[in-house]
Amino acid sequence: MLSNWKYFLSRTLLLLWGLQIIWLFWHFGPEMRDLGRRLAAGDVGSAIRQEEPLYPWVQSLAAIIPEQATYVFLDDYEAGKEIEARYFLSPRRHILLPPQVPADFLFYVLHQQKASFLIIRDRQRPLGPGAQAARSSPAFRPLDLPGPGLAFRVDPGLLGWGFYD
Amino acid sequence: MIESAAALLRLLLGLGAVFFIGYALMALAAPDPRGFNPAERTALSFGAGAVTVTLWMLALTWWGVLFSLGLILGPLLVPAALLLLSSRGQAALTADWRALSSGCQVRLRDWDWLLAGLLAALFLFAALRATLYPIWAWDALATWGLKAKVFYISRGVDLTSIDAHNYYPNLVPLLLSYLYFCLGQVNDHLAKLVFPLWGALLLTLLYSWAGRLGLTRRQALGLTAFFALNGTVFIVHLYIAYADLALAYFTLGAAGLIYLWLQDAAPRGSLPIVACFLAGMAWCKYEGPPLAATVILAAALTLIWLHPPRWATRLGQLAVLLTGLAAGYLPWRLFAIRQNLEIGQDHIQSFYPHQLLDAIAYLLQALVYPYYFGFLWPALLLALILSGRRLWRSPRLFLALFIGGNLLAVILAYAVAPTAAQEFPSYVRATLDRLLLHITPVAALLVGLGIKELGAESGPHPDPAFPPAGPDAPR
Repeated sequence: MLSNWKYFLSRTLLLLWGLQIIWLFWHFGPEMRDLGRRLAAGDVGSAIRQEEPLYPWVQSLAAIIPEQATYVFLDDYEAGKEIEARYFLSPRRHILLPPQVPADFLFYVLHQQKASFLIIRDRQRPLGPGAQAARSSPAFRPLDLPGPGLAFRVDPGLLGWGFYD
Repeated sequence: MIESAAALLRLLLGLGAVFFIGYALMALAAPDPRGFNPAERTALSFGAGAVTVTLWMLALTWWGVLFSLGLILGPLLVPAALLLLSSRGQAALTADWRALSSGCQVRLRDWDWLLAGLLAALFLFAALRATLYPIWAWDALATWGLKAKVFYISRGVDLTSIDAHNYYPNLVPLLLSYLYFCLGQVNDHLAKLVFPLWGALLLTLLYSWAGRLGLTRRQALGLTAFFALNGTVFIVHLYIAYADLALAYFTLGAAGLIYLWLQDAAPRGSLPIVACFLAGMAWCKYEGPPLAATVILAAALTLIWLHPPRWATRLGQLAVLLTGLAAGYLPWRLFAIRQNLEIGQDHIQSFYPHQLLDAIAYLLQALVYPYYFGFLWPALLLALILSGRRLWRSPRLFLALFIGGNLLAVILAYAVAPTAAQEFPSYVRATLDRLLLHITPVAALLVGLGIKELGAESGPHPDPAFPPAGPDAPR
């Protein structure tokens, strides 16, 4: 027969496990409720993405940006929105720069990488020096798309790139 | 509605083809058709099939051939069908058919129903959660799902347009893109069905290996439920589309079969199957090759330590496993070199002693923090105590060495990670649960041995799950 301590320990562990299963139901409760609500409403699959304002905006960008094109995306990596935009816009080449990127570096990257679009994810935030310079430069033509961000078509010929010695 | 049903059918046919190819390979590897029961053969077949299909897709890109469903499946299905028409294939099919037609009646009693019901509820939730929601989790969007989409659109392993840990192995992205070819479009919610399927196959293996260890049906079912419904990590990985669940599945398949082989309880032909699973480990995650190497190393050390009969010959037999590891590792490595892909060197730059101490503390916390794995790791500690001398005088030493070695490796990996001091805690938080998930199913096997000890001490049980396993007595 089991010795007392083994019996006690194993039964205690089983009891804790049982309580933990009840906690699991509580923990996943919100997800289960959301799942049930969506199933009842038929609001599943791609329809879920439509709830996110970024998605329709990026979809309209995808209709404009050719698949072979490169774009520069200004956003904070930590926000987690950049990976979504990159996923939706793939296989277009994606270059991430921080929103506060200086103008000279932004223009350098656009030129070097032959990027033909500039996308700023959050139009509510104050523009950084690079974005401000882009906005006032004739090389950037704004795309008139409703959404959370700003987008520009870049004319590389007007970037005025060159060496100044 | 009809469109959704048709898409589901196409997906199921695509998954069925993977099983079919793997089943043929299993029949080729295992000379005794009754060595594996149908559930085991099915669970192992998917892994073998997934490795074969995705390596074949890599080969197609290597030869400059664009992906199409016909080119992916045709050259694999034809030899698989021929294999199943051979005498060995026919024997496997006949044995499984007989087993299924004679032994299908499941005799569940009282608590068994509760355990089976909890598992069924879990998988209903996970399958719906996976297939009704599009890809949204971080690494799925940033790496695995992104690559799958790009491979589908470019019809090859084309990494020129993305920078998403391009050097990571590609079993999971290629399998997802294969499913997109089956579906005829990028359907990133339906294709996620493969993840709960992978979880179910992992649990099938755990249940089967537990039965082969000598646990009763209820004990094996209890162990399976104890693993699946302990903490949140395994459950969440059933639907977030990360590669870690696949790695955990391959690791359990390989380590479980090696343990049975060390016990002289593995079916004939197990070593080639282990080799295939080691290939799967190496081909599905960056952590896979070292993890696979520790399976071989722990097996070798166990043989050397225990000195069982013919130990030197058996040590030589482990060389078969190295070929599996090479088969999973080298093709991608050579491809990456050929494509001039930058290989990550995240973990070989320096050694940070303060991170070593922090990592030990974080690891110990994670092992006892119920949010991650519930009470599984404390149960492992209890199982180790119950093992007593058997721990180092029987093949269960292999399991302990594998688990202990990998926990040590996790600590060392954090100690050499070049991370800023303020970022280190969040870096550990974002990765530790996943690293533990890779080895937790194997830890559950050790818990199973503890359950067996407790069961044996409380008296004989009339309901063995499987024929008795080989001896696990002190040598």
